[in-house]
Amino acid sequence: MKLLSRSEAETREIGRKLGEKLKSGDVVCLYGELGSGKTTMVQGIASAFGISERDITSASFTIIAEYDAGTPFYHIDLYRVTPGEVPELGLQEYLGSAGISVIEWAERAEGEIPDNSIRVSLNHKEEHSREIEIKGIRINRDA
Amino acid sequence: MLILGIDTSCDDTAAAVVEDGRRIISNVVSNQDDIHEKYGGIVPELASRRHIELIWPVVNEAIKRAEVNFRDISAIAVTSGPGLIGSLLVGVCFAKSLSLVNSTPMVAVNHLEGHIHSIFLEANPLFPFVALVVSGGHTSLYRVDDFGLYTELGRTRDDAAGEAYDKVAKLLGFSYPGGPIIDAISAKGDPHSIAFPKANLKGSLDFSFSGLKTSVLNYVKKHPESKKEDIAASFQSAVVGALIDKIVAAVGAEGINRVVLSGGVSANSALRSSMKEKAMSEGIELFLPSLNLCTDNAAMIASAGYYYFKKGELADFTLNPKAYLPIGVKS
Repeated sequence: MKLLSRSEAETREIGRKLGEKLKSGDVVCLYGELGSGKTTMVQGIASAFGISERDITSASFTIIAEYDAGTPFYHIDLYRVTPGEVPELGLQEYLGSAGISVIEWAERAEGEIPDNSIRVSLNHKEEHSREIEIKGIRINRDA
Repeated sequence: MLILGIDTSCDDTAAAVVEDGRRIISNVVSNQDDIHEKYGGIVPELASRRHIELIWPVVNEAIKRAEVNFRDISAIAVTSGPGLIGSLLVGVCFAKSLSLVNSTPMVAVNHLEGHIHSIFLEANPLFPFVALVVSGGHTSLYRVDDFGLYTELGRTRDDAAGEAYDKVAKLLGFSYPGGPIIDAISAKGDPHSIAFPKANLKGSLDFSFSGLKTSVLNYVKKHPESKKEDIAASFQSAVVGALIDKIVAAVGAEGINRVVLSGGVSANSALRSSMKEKAMSEGIELFLPSLNLCTDNAAMIASAGYYYFKKGELADFTLNPKAYLPIGVKS
């Protein structure tokens, strides 16, 4: 399904709706260039698990940030990882667990991503609007 | 009293020996050239395996340069977070082993608290003061009332300032880390040539650098012919402006006119010079660590650890590192 977001707040809201549909062990892959709203989307998804938006910041530096939200919530950001370094990260420990994993720049680790993952692509339309394509799950934007 | 500090929170393996929390006896960081040459030029990036290869040589070097033995060490201070979890584990496991073998007490230190402590290795700011920790992974403002007593005043809501530097450097075609490169070429550009938006979250001491990064990206796409020096200088001016605005706001809000900068980005020449000017005009007493103490090091961890050791706040063998660890929270 394709959705149009006209602001950061709308991207966050779409994220929250998506988060509410997730269940234990789900993996969400986020694709999109710098500034397309990936971290904003993660803030929305995390908010569905009671994690404060303020606690989710870019994870580019630490690569994996873990939050205890009843269900473990893993925010993974592969921005500064080269494909050769991916095997050293031990991603399977997270992706194969009962926790929720949300991965930014997931294309860097395509070989390790489970086939049944939910895939979300964010694309710049204009300065503030983004086209968001979601595969592997349906969300109801009006609900 | 000698404290051995160990930090493996991110890219560098670091060890140091510090006396009484204040005086550096030795300070070894794996990115230093002499360590490179000796141990084959391996720079730990993401792989904890490289920390494993370097931790022994780096700790040994710190002990050797201090001209002491392990039995002279009163306590081991180790970074338990925040950072890369695999990297943190190497330092914590190593510290536990040393602690067990030599019966040396161990204390856990928050990496951000370590950064604030860098200043105590060179100066003696009176409490309370406002501290900015600004690096590739963090951008936070604190009120510091005493050793170990911190109140967070603000933090970034998205990208850290250093991360924005790295990302902008990459989109301009420069290598990692981007901070020093942007800083250097900015000197040849006009900081007023492009008006990038300086995020100002009104009524809050929080920062936001993600929008600025996106603006630079959009600008580069629209104006591929523009001078990189001008883009870099204008970007840098927006980052430095945002940092200084919030520092000044924090000083006003807290009624404290002492400011300590720390973290890798506090080595940035534009931030240092602009902040010095601002401090002069606003009557702020400014404390800036030397460049080698701005970036990651273990002397700052040993300094912070000393005060925990004195208070008897020891860590035991159940210590587990945490990738996400706000200051003031025990791991």
